[in-house]
Amino acid sequence: MSGRDPQTPEFEILEHPADIGFRVRGQTLAQLFENAAAALQSIAVESDEVRAAEQFALSAVAPDAEALLVNWLNEVLFWSDGRGIAFREFRVQELEPTHVSGIGLGEARDPARHRAKLIVKAATYHQLKLERSPEGWLAEVFLDI
Amino acid sequence: MAPTFQIESIDGLRYRIPRNAERGMRTDVRVYASPALIDQIMKDRSLEQAMNVATLPGIVGSSLAMPDIHQGYGFPIGGVAAMDFETGVVSPGGVGFDINCGVRLVRTNLIEKDVRARLRELVNQVFRDVPCGTGSSGFVRIQAKELDHVLAKGARWMIDNGYGEPSDAEYAEAGGALAGADPDCVSARAKERGRPQLGTLGSGNHFLEIQFVEKLHEPSAAAAMGLEPGQVVILIHSGSRGLGHQVCTDYVAEMNGAMQRYNITLPDRQLACAPAQSREGQAYLKAMQAAANFAWANRQAILHFLRPAFRKVFGESARLSLVYDVCHNIAKREFHQVAGERREVLVHRKGATRAFPPGHAEIPSKYRAIGQPVLVPGSMGTASWILAGAEGAMQETFGSVCHGAGRLLSRTAAAKGRDAKQVERKLEEQGIIVRSESRQGIVEEIPEAYKDVDEVIDVVDRAGLARKVARLRPMGVIKG
Repeated sequence: MSGRDPQTPEFEILEHPADIGFRVRGQTLAQLFENAAAALQSIAVESDEVRAAEQFALSAVAPDAEALLVNWLNEVLFWSDGRGIAFREFRVQELEPTHVSGIGLGEARDPARHRAKLIVKAATYHQLKLERSPEGWLAEVFLDI
Repeated sequence: MAPTFQIESIDGLRYRIPRNAERGMRTDVRVYASPALIDQIMKDRSLEQAMNVATLPGIVGSSLAMPDIHQGYGFPIGGVAAMDFETGVVSPGGVGFDINCGVRLVRTNLIEKDVRARLRELVNQVFRDVPCGTGSSGFVRIQAKELDHVLAKGARWMIDNGYGEPSDAEYAEAGGALAGADPDCVSARAKERGRPQLGTLGSGNHFLEIQFVEKLHEPSAAAAMGLEPGQVVILIHSGSRGLGHQVCTDYVAEMNGAMQRYNITLPDRQLACAPAQSREGQAYLKAMQAAANFAWANRQAILHFLRPAFRKVFGESARLSLVYDVCHNIAKREFHQVAGERREVLVHRKGATRAFPPGHAEIPSKYRAIGQPVLVPGSMGTASWILAGAEGAMQETFGSVCHGAGRLLSRTAAAKGRDAKQVERKLEEQGIIVRSESRQGIVEEIPEAYKDVDEVIDVVDRAGLARKVARLRPMGVIKG
């Protein structure tokens, strides 16, 4: 099964007995971070009608790349679940081994237009994978639902 | 898929995976299951996760697996692990992202026949008055400063501020508040995320169910809980919402950074932990207790909004009274006998319910003679159970039992080829009305996605961990 929103880069849903995971790719590590954030958004909210009306600054720090990806996704989750923002797309502007920053383009979530699919509690380290692939980079992330 | 480990039956109810030093296990895994359940359990990776838990420093006794065990992240769901409080670790992943996810049982003075006659009206009213939180905030309006009081005092603060009746706090585990909570250990982000969500159900497997008492198995214990056949009750399953999720996220990140300092290496990063007595361990425990208090406040607020919903439909004489409230995602400091010695341990219950036996001092006096009420929801189309804690739980499982039926199908497998309308129709044919904010929420939580709750309860009862008191059947289901 792949992402249903044509605006969202392709990702695959990974099965888990209680929760849900996704596999996502990117030509560069920065693109992978952007695509992973978009996959997370797409799993949580029906995002077809989200407008890129405002910019929101996003950042994360971590001791290594895997933890950086988890913390980046949890940053996105804080903005969506904690601050009620629905995102259209993500742009990574700076990516260092222990730091990532960028912007999310979106708007305040309107439940009538952006219906919830699932409340995601967190991105986890469970079976986390981040590796180079022939096309660039590949990651697998499991979310707690 | 053949297992990569040895598992042996002890007596057809208990199974053992012997300690394997090569895998870093410090102790055995003990599983409670029937032969049929063990076959289902072996289909996912939950027992490997229970083996990973057995590697944690300071684990006391066995790494325990309840009959509803299924694969989680880090710890299995349905796992119990006790750590020495002085020398062992605390693991935020061993509690989970939904700190003090739990269940609250409320009895009404209504009977099944009367409620069935107005069931759709009631379900719609409750759906309006108890928000799920997927599309809107809750109806509890509190200032940032007041949130700190909620974190310190839990359900008690809600009751003192008009969100409940005085007796509501008495009948919750720990009286609805853990004394060791420190709001200053909860991040500003966690508070910001959680404050507007107070008084909301959440999504996933969270629910509010209107049920009736189908059958009593121990009438005297049921009488002590004020329950009789045909009586309508409500089961509320919710937790600490975004506040607890963020607390866990914050401390998993912190402990991942700290583990090297404490020379801890683990087979799964989601098990991230720190010594319970370390700065990180102590800060987490204080924050976790604050989040647990938020969860009790949350379930209290839901009960408060439920009362007028029932009165709107059934008139002013409709009465809702709290029977009990249990948490099933928590780490608790408790004293237990281990190999003849009294030990202070930190019992991690991840998808497991405390089940203290008759006579235990922490049980409200009204229930002390029968044992702690244990609330075990099944799935939205089957049954739920009320149990009472038994002595076997103290002897074998650090006073713990299962927390539900346990998932059998993944969310994607459950949703495959089904649509929400079809599921709703099928449940209606069985007399069950479902309302949900999300279509996905219905199809992913179909009864077929879960194990047979009756079989899970049989194991717990036959193993002497808890006693069957009453079986409940659903009539109305509200899902996030």
